[in-house]
Amino acid sequence: MDLFRRLTKQPTLELDDIQAAVLRARPEPYFGTHAILEITDAAAGRELLRRLAPRITSAARWDEPVPAWTVVAISYPGLEALGVSEESLASFPANFRAGMAARAERLRDTGPNAPHHWEFPFGTGRAHLAVSVYAESKEAWQEAVDGYQRELAQVAGVDLLSHQDFGATGFNVFGYRDGFTQPAVEGSGAETMPGDGRPIKPGEFVLGYPSETGRPLPMPSPSVLGRNGTYVVFRKYHSHVAAFNRFLHGNADTAEERELLAAKLVGRWRSGAPLALSPDRDDPALGEDPRRQNHFKYAEDPRGLRTPLGSHIRRMNPRDSKLEILSDLRIRRLIRRSTSYGDAVPDSEVRDDGSSRGLDFIALSARAIDTVEFLQSEWVNSGNFAGLDKEKDPLISNQDKGAYFTVPGTPPRRVQGIQSFNTLLGGEYLFMPSLSAIAWLSQEPTA
Amino acid sequence: MSDRDLENRFQGLPTTVREKIDAVIDDAKIALKLRVAELLADKEEMAEHAVTSAGRVGAKSGEVSELTAIMPLKPGGAEKLRKFFGLVGGNLAGAGQVGTLHNMRFVFLDDDTKLLFATAYDGEWDPYIDDFATKIPEFMDYLFGNVEGWPGIQSPDVKDFIVQYQLPAEAWFVAHPTLTVAGANRLKRLDRTVQNFLTELN
Ligand code: HEM
Repeated sequence: MDLFRRLTKQPTLELDDIQAAVLRARPEPYFGTHAILEITDAAAGRELLRRLAPRITSAARWDEPVPAWTVVAISYPGLEALGVSEESLASFPANFRAGMAARAERLRDTGPNAPHHWEFPFGTGRAHLAVSVYAESKEAWQEAVDGYQRELAQVAGVDLLSHQDFGATGFNVFGYRDGFTQPAVEGSGAETMPGDGRPIKPGEFVLGYPSETGRPLPMPSPSVLGRNGTYVVFRKYHSHVAAFNRFLHGNADTAEERELLAAKLVGRWRSGAPLALSPDRDDPALGEDPRRQNHFKYAEDPRGLRTPLGSHIRRMNPRDSKLEILSDLRIRRLIRRSTSYGDAVPDSEVRDDGSSRGLDFIALSARAIDTVEFLQSEWVNSGNFAGLDKEKDPLISNQDKGAYFTVPGTPPRRVQGIQSFNTLLGGEYLFMPSLSAIAWLSQEPTA
Repeated sequence: MSDRDLENRFQGLPTTVREKIDAVIDDAKIALKLRVAELLADKEEMAEHAVTSAGRVGAKSGEVSELTAIMPLKPGGAEKLRKFFGLVGGNLAGAGQVGTLHNMRFVFLDDDTKLLFATAYDGEWDPYIDDFATKIPEFMDYLFGNVEGWPGIQSPDVKDFIVQYQLPAEAWFVAHPTLTVAGANRLKRLDRTVQNFLTELN
């Protein structure tokens, strides 16, 4: 699939100071690693940043393929561990400072998703630095990982807590093409794709530029630290694909019916083709065509006869759907850089093989933390905003006993037995600094 | 019923309930004590109307939360607001578009120096402050701009500002705790469909 938008306009964002992940699309296929580090000595932490800095890729010419790029993000305890001044620390927003685990109630991370079930090192306060490598090939991936590991080996006082490899073809472990729908960012220089609508103000995604309010959003101080940075929400999910397949088999008799139900849950066929444009059968060519795959709206389908009101993509971006609650969709968009790990499971497999597989949900924006907290409480774990009462997102919510999914129609079909198909294994709120902020952070603080 | 009969019924209720009643309202008439005791003993009714907390301040029953705030007004603020409320005849119909508000009221206190704002709404209010800030900023700032120190709806401090003047309700009752405004709209639509169907049937 042709993933790269073309750079057709003069960018107004300072691309050479912004980290690549903000604008660079995930390649297909992709390979990579997420490493989480703990800084036990502030000077060592700064030394590591100094050493990594030349390896961190900027967003300049984000439209041109590169073999691999390295990304760095820092948690609030990480900023503390680096010795950042009290004054600067206090300028970060309260939910970022509290951390994802402390925000479990707001995120509806309860039951099996609650922080006390999380895997190490999430939620311990020791996940300070996240270093991710994204690559187009195995070789480039290995080279970039070796590079970062060599730097890490040179400093005593920064410890590796976890190393997770990822990689896929562009289809996730459930077999859906994913990660291709992205907001159009004003000032990025990207060509507009059919269905984008008016590009979103740059300050929604990068700190220091006008946002949808007309002004820049609040940013951490000093401005060298905040400007050109953004926030990252990282959530690692384990996917219960066999249970998902059992659900499909239990509620549909033929392969065709199963695929239709699978499409109704997400709002797209596994190929990526949207139900809005191809309601009755899959259309793989449509699914991989960047000029058509998002060229649709929902207003002409108010009851959800094509795309169910409760399907994953209609919840996560209701576009022009009429909502029950006053909401500004333009401030709820996210740049997604999610990665899949583990192997996919064929749709015929209904027994759990116990393997580790799933998705690292990775969302970037200047309000990513507020947005994900909003999505989790209002659009994922409730149906009220869409007139669906207590019905929840069929793919990513924490389902209660007796949960169901409604497929609109005459009469509507209520599909019983829906379960939590993805369990949260942990996550962190991170700040993704600009390249100049990384240089600033690697200096010994004055005063 | 005589006081003696009431007393007998009271004695028939669980000891734990009676002890609680005696500890707090021992001085009340037996008729009242019995009523309260019967209510406390009705686990289902109590559970349906259980009161939890709504975000940082405020009470919540099921889906429905309350927000009560008393805020200092700027000099002339009450006059300005009164003119505005007069213009619309005290009718805030447009507020329906918010979609989470069951009701709200504005009351001037202490010689027009303070504003009491009280509302019943669904869920939590702070997730939607950002939507107000981009969708209806003029309206929010016009109304609350008359409050002393109002930082502006787009200010990062606005949530703390509101919380600072919020008074938690000590008691909170909602007839239909699970019924949101959106849910009520849905039931109304359903009822209309049923009524039309019945009309056509006959
Ligand atoms: C294991 C977890 C998840 C899976 C398997 C999953 C799967 C998918 C798939 C298949 C798509 C359609 C592809 C595309 O349009 O790019 C999609 C879109 C999307 N997902 Fe997820 N997702 C997961 C978690 C999440 C979470 C946690 C959120 C946010 C809280 C989220 C937000 C979105 C958004 C915003 C879109 C784009 C919708 C649009 O703009 O039309 N997803 N997801």
